[in-house]
Amino acid sequence: MTKKLIFRISIAVNIILAIVFVFTLPKAVESLNFEYVEQDTIRPDTLRAYLERENYGTVAAISRAIRGGAEIDPRDEDYYRLGEYGELLFLKEVYDRAGNLETLKEAEGRMEDIRNRMPEYDAVFDKIDQSAANAVRK
Amino acid sequence: MKCVGCGAEIGLTDKVCPHCGRKNTETAGYRSDMERLKKDSEKTKKKIGEILSENIPIVISAFCMLLLLISVLVTIYVSENAYSFRENAKRKESVKQYDEYSAVIRKYLDAGDYTGFAAFKEYHNIAHWEEPYEDLNLICDMADYYSSMVSAVEEATMFGPEARRYDPESDISNCHRAIQRFYDEFDYRLSDIDSDPYRDNIYDMKAKADIIMEVYLGLDEEGRKSYFSESSIRQEAYLEEVLMND
Repeated sequence: MTKKLIFRISIAVNIILAIVFVFTLPKAVESLNFEYVEQDTIRPDTLRAYLERENYGTVAAISRAIRGGAEIDPRDEDYYRLGEYGELLFLKEVYDRAGNLETLKEAEGRMEDIRNRMPEYDAVFDKIDQSAANAVRK
Repeated sequence: MKCVGCGAEIGLTDKVCPHCGRKNTETAGYRSDMERLKKDSEKTKKKIGEILSENIPIVISAFCMLLLLISVLVTIYVSENAYSFRENAKRKESVKQYDEYSAVIRKYLDAGDYTGFAAFKEYHNIAHWEEPYEDLNLICDMADYYSSMVSAVEEATMFGPEARRYDPESDISNCHRAIQRFYDEFDYRLSDIDSDPYRDNIYDMKAKADIIMEVYLGLDEEGRKSYFSESSIRQEAYLEEVLMND
C-alpha cells in the first residue's frame, strides 16, 4: 500500500515537472538565440511607433546599432535603415562644419544608397529631410 | 586431496575416486555443507529479484524525477543567464578577432565617426578595460558620452511637422543631462586625455560636440561659455526656450 502510494505521488510529481519543463524549454532556447541583443528591448514595433509619430530623432538614436554592424532581421531592416538615414542626415551637418569632407561624401553616398534601395519610403525620407532641416538653428 | 585407496589426486567435491573407484567418504560433510550453501544462495538471489521487481517502477519513476528536475533547473539557469552567455561569447570573439576589429575601429576613428565607433564597440561587446583593447579605454568612455549626447540632441530636435511627441519636457531634460555629462567628463579627464594615445580623436569629438551645440542648439563659442556659466535650472530653461518655441 505504502509503495503504491509513493509510486503514485512520484508519477504526479513527474507530470508536474514535465509540464514545467515543456514551458521553460522554449524560453531557454529563444533566449540563447544569438541575434542582436538590442532587439530584445528595442522591438521593431517600438521603432514603427516612433516613425508613425514622426519622432525621427528617436528613430535615428535607437536604430544606431545597425551602424555598428548589427545583424538585423530582414523583416525589420527597413525601419533601422530609416533610422540610419536620419542619423547620417543629422551628422552630415557636423562633418561638413568639422571639415571631414571624405566622411561627409561617404555619408551622402550611403544616404543616397538607402533612398534608392527603399523607394516605397520616399514620403518618409522627405519628412526626415524636412525634420533635419528644421532642426538646424538659423 | 589424495585418495585414501590409490593415493591419486582427487577433488573435494568428488563422490568417488575417478582413478580407483573408491567412495570418497572423507569429504561427505564438506559436500553437504556446499549443497546447503548453494541452496541458500539461490534463495537469497530469488528474494533479491523479487524485491527488485517489486520496486522497479518506483526506481524508474525516481530516476525520471531526478532527470526532469535537473532539466528544469538547467533550462531556468540558461534562461536567466543567456544574456551573459551571449555577452561572454561576443567578448571572446572580439579578442579572437582583434586584428580585424582594430582595423575597423581605426576606420571609424579616422573618419571621425564616433557614434558609429560606439555602436560597433557595443555590438561586438569589446571589453575596452582589459587586454588587448585597454588602450581604447578612455576614448570608448568618451565615445559613449558623446553618443548619448548625439542621441539626446537628435531626440529633442528632429521630428516631423505633424509629430506627436511622447514627452517633450523629458526629451529636453535628457538633452540637458547628456550635454552636461559629456562636457563634465571632458573637463574632469582632461589630464588623462592629454596623455592618451587617442588624444587627437577625443579633441575632435569635443570639437564635434561644440558644432552640435552651435548647429542644433544655437550656441556658438560665446553662447556656450555663457550657457555653461549658468545654473542647471537656467541651462534647462534655455534649452526649453530654444527647443519648444519651434
